[in-house]
Amino acid sequence: MTSVDEPRASLSVRPAGHAVVRAGRGSSFLVHRRALAVAVVLAVLLAAAVVVSLCVGEAFVPPAEVVRVLLGLPSPDELVVGTLRLPRLVTGLLVGAAFGLSGALIQTMARNALASPDVIGVTHGAGAATVAAMTFGLTSYAVLPYVSVVGGLLAALLVYLLAWRGGLSASRFVLVGIGISVALGSLTRLLVTKGDYLVAQQAKVWLTGSLNGRGYDQAAPLATVLLLLVPFLLWAARAQRSAAFDEDTATALGIRLGRVRLGLSVLGVVLASAATGAAGPVDFVALLAPQIARRLTRTPQTPLVCSALTGALIVVVADVLARKLLSPLELPVGVFTALVGAPCLMWLIVRTRGNRSGGTA
Amino acid sequence: MTDERPAELSPVQDAVPAQVPVGNRLAARGLTLAYEDRTVVEDLDLEVPDGKVTVIVGPNACGKSTLLRALGRLLKPRRGAVLLDGAELAHVPTRRIAQVIGLLPQTPMPPEGITVADLVSRGRQPHQKWWRQWSDSDEAAVAHAMERTGTTDLAERPVDELSGGQRQRVWIAMALAQDTDLLLLDEPTTYLDIAHQVEVLDLVRQLNRERSRTVVAVLHDLNQAARYADHLIAMRAGRVVAQGPPADTVTADLVQEVFGLASVVVPDPVTGGPLVVPGPPGVRRNTPRGLPAHRKPIK
Repeated sequence: MTSVDEPRASLSVRPAGHAVVRAGRGSSFLVHRRALAVAVVLAVLLAAAVVVSLCVGEAFVPPAEVVRVLLGLPSPDELVVGTLRLPRLVTGLLVGAAFGLSGALIQTMARNALASPDVIGVTHGAGAATVAAMTFGLTSYAVLPYVSVVGGLLAALLVYLLAWRGGLSASRFVLVGIGISVALGSLTRLLVTKGDYLVAQQAKVWLTGSLNGRGYDQAAPLATVLLLLVPFLLWAARAQRSAAFDEDTATALGIRLGRVRLGLSVLGVVLASAATGAAGPVDFVALLAPQIARRLTRTPQTPLVCSALTGALIVVVADVLARKLLSPLELPVGVFTALVGAPCLMWLIVRTRGNRSGGTA
Repeated sequence: MTDERPAELSPVQDAVPAQVPVGNRLAARGLTLAYEDRTVVEDLDLEVPDGKVTVIVGPNACGKSTLLRALGRLLKPRRGAVLLDGAELAHVPTRRIAQVIGLLPQTPMPPEGITVADLVSRGRQPHQKWWRQWSDSDEAAVAHAMERTGTTDLAERPVDELSGGQRQRVWIAMALAQDTDLLLLDEPTTYLDIAHQVEVLDLVRQLNRERSRTVVAVLHDLNQAARYADHLIAMRAGRVVAQGPPADTVTADLVQEVFGLASVVVPDPVTGGPLVVPGPPGVRRNTPRGLPAHRKPIK
């Protein structure tokens, strides 16, 4: 025991790496310095990716013109950039951000880096519902998103009902979720195999996740959901800290862990369902984005803003590849998201091996 | 040397209300505690004396940790209630309780990759709001807690890398940063070597003396309990067998009744308090069968 009376002003006792922002009326906020820097860098990269994405396509548009269009100035390329390419890009941005957030929330809630909307039934529920609707002749892009949202939410509800036991246990939630996902995945494959060729073809593209033909019709509902969830996400950013504790320690600190877990997971489920409705279950974004973001920021909990930015960046870059790599053939964006995200994550894992700040995968 | 004190047990088990002090902040009334179908504690009344170090001792599975968990609302009573300032614990918001009762569970798990300062600062959680994430009083309480526990120099270290003793001090610092009047500790010395055990218990007693915090701890070691407790509670099979100041409570008969162990109680050469030495009076050597005389061979 040290019984030193001299002030130890030189050693900070604040949560490591945080700055305190005071905003009057006794309010104060903790900001993680590195996370803030990473967010700025990601935002800059994302802006660059947005411009590149709007430049490339069947016809190349110079970046200067793209920026003019984005700033609302008159430009000869307004039709190509503003009307044809921008709606699809906006959808991609929102889908990536929503999946990134969803993955971060569900991984935090489950205290498991392998958890994502894929393993708790949402994406497979959405997939099964959509493919079933296609099989029964419902192929309109105006209706399918809602079918998939309902399917995702129903599957998640089923997981909650089966996993609930006087509270929400993380491991039970994940286990039941995996079971339901596998069952629904099989059902989807069965429907695709039994269905006729055209339906199977369409279902396959949808199941990979595609931005082809997506625009403001898909982006608007997703944007609405994201906006409505902002207050809850602000809560979640803080509540995430609590979810990292075990039950006893959390209770000792006055945290109602069950409620925190339920809140975080419901947010994650709603986000994943809405994103799946807009572009199908775009592979791996929800799994990879939070892990990449966390390794970049080195925060003890998964950073929400950086996860959203990373998710958006992955989807936008993957979409550029999907459109250009085998041009004029357009591949679904879901083919490339893992291809873009996985090497980044591998590099970060290898680089931080043996480094304590990297966390475990 | 034999035990010269008259072997009397404090007759508390029949709950004579006049003998226990009234008006304590933390108390239990008719407490029945059970896991699934196994009842561990039945119809127990208990007063935790304010401003004192209370230590609960007893053999394994006697319900001492279970009782502590109930006092800290980690376990819901099957029947009866734990009262905090006269209010039933189950009806007080858990966050409100966390502002009054600090609690160190038996095996707390640190969040992955967290640093010492970060973990200790989590103790401020019950006092923080969404819009007040780090006030001056938070900073002061955390700095004080870390200084008191000698963890200031570890501030930037990840908790995963610490030794058992350091880690335990960090957890105590977290509970301390919570700045509560009551502190419940579930076997705070487990996994520590004897030097660290003494260090932690010295700290606990200092914390009690300084601000007359009420401390309740579960300890395995009867001698440590006797040394550090103001008020000793001996439990067996879910019942309180004896309680009171260690000097009046710890006798050879009590050790026999609670632990089923023959022993001699001598004055502790350092503190003068009771010191339990296993073995029946007068026997200095092992029996011919190679076992100490106080142990019967297991058949």
